[in-house]
Amino acid sequence: MKTNMLLVIAFVSTINSPAVAQASQVANDKLSYPYRILTIEPGVGIHTNFGTDILITNLVQWNPRKHLSLASHSSFNINNVTQRNFNFIKTNYNYSLNQKFGAGATIYRKKSSHSFLMMVGIKYTAFQESLENPDLEKVTTTIAAVSPDYGLMYSMKRGKKKYFFSYRMYVPLSPWPAKGTDMNYLDGNLNNVALELALGIKLK
Amino acid sequence: MKTQFLKIAKSRVMLIVIALLCVLASCSEEVFNPALVREFKLQSQTNGAMYTITVGLPSGYDPTTQKYAAIYLLDGEEDFDFVANKCAEISASHATPNAIVVGIGYGNDRSIDYTPTKVSSVTGGAPDFMEFIEDQLIPTIEKDFGADTTRMSRAILGHSYGGLFGAFVFTVRNKLFGNYLILSPSLWFDNEVTLLLEKERRSINKDQRQQVFLGIGQMENSGRMQAPFDAFYNALQENYSNTSVSRNKEKNLDHMGSKNPNIINALNYFFDNQ
Repeated sequence: MKTNMLLVIAFVSTINSPAVAQASQVANDKLSYPYRILTIEPGVGIHTNFGTDILITNLVQWNPRKHLSLASHSSFNINNVTQRNFNFIKTNYNYSLNQKFGAGATIYRKKSSHSFLMMVGIKYTAFQESLENPDLEKVTTTIAAVSPDYGLMYSMKRGKKKYFFSYRMYVPLSPWPAKGTDMNYLDGNLNNVALELALGIKLK
Repeated sequence: MKTQFLKIAKSRVMLIVIALLCVLASCSEEVFNPALVREFKLQSQTNGAMYTITVGLPSGYDPTTQKYAAIYLLDGEEDFDFVANKCAEISASHATPNAIVVGIGYGNDRSIDYTPTKVSSVTGGAPDFMEFIEDQLIPTIEKDFGADTTRMSRAILGHSYGGLFGAFVFTVRNKLFGNYLILSPSLWFDNEVTLLLEKERRSINKDQRQQVFLGIGQMENSGRMQAPFDAFYNALQENYSNTSVSRNKEKNLDHMGSKNPNIINALNYFFDNQ
């Protein structure tokens, strides 16, 4: 918990930094990347576990103030797409659903805007595997689990018109350091870093 | 204005760096009491490899008055300190005598030593490695460190390929260990060859008395881990009447994340049943 607090303090200190505010003010005086109040950004992505998960995602971002961002991120993940039949082990289904909400800050540059968000939500994972080796008894295992999902999201928008390009990255803060600070836990974080490309639409 | 901005930015960066250093510092592994550690090298007569053996002794160790259980730990170079420390803690909390922890270092690539059959140039060394443990390592530990010579006082602990090796020893050299602490075993290896061996040798092993702990991460969803794991558990539950089997699926954790929690569960199981 102590380490979590340190990370949160570090993160908040950067997003509320007067330095950031001043920098964006300076940039804003000279440049004119648009301030959008409400956007929707459907996209696709992968996890960093060798790219075997496909993500269909959506980010709704509301900036009630220019530098304050609130967001909702939804994701449907089809997991382990490329290895559904391995050594007589058949994956019948394997997916997860994630819903997170978050808050953070947006800074503006000449050609893009950058949002940094702290996200919190839940993840539902379901998968089923069957051992179908003809020389062994058939065994089917089913897992369905709900777990907390929280982490840091970075979202970059490029393009000044109604439709724009968006890139985002989500770094989970679980299981490391939330469950424990042993480095073995990091594997779980690294396998679930999400990289997404999206088409953004300005609604307001 | 610009200087002030740079100053503030610098201080924020420093704050982040300090926070990250604090987080990383808290990751440092706790080293087992060096006064209780003995280390020696042993060359295998079967595969020629040189293994570094690290032995963790119980506090108050006195082989002249007491015989000790021994836990043979695979991937000893990585997990020795953690396991030795947890053994000390858990045995104390159970008010049972602590065990000797025998960390087996890498003499070969682990994928050679821990896998039962040769499907590539870096697999298939488990039969030789098992002979090394049986003919050289166990006799050395029992002779030089006062470990109890009964089967029920010996345990093997392994994770992933190490878990596969534990299951392999269970099936083909069952007389060696009375306790099998098998974590996230790669039973998918070579079309489940270890499960086939278990079935083949079931009639020989099924009446033996033994304790088996099977642990895995609930989120090991790579399409190969869960079903063979459950198949092994079912085989033991249904066919081995004198075997006590415990199974744990560590909630919301994956292959590596579940390792240490399952080591703790396995050691609790081991000391509970001593």
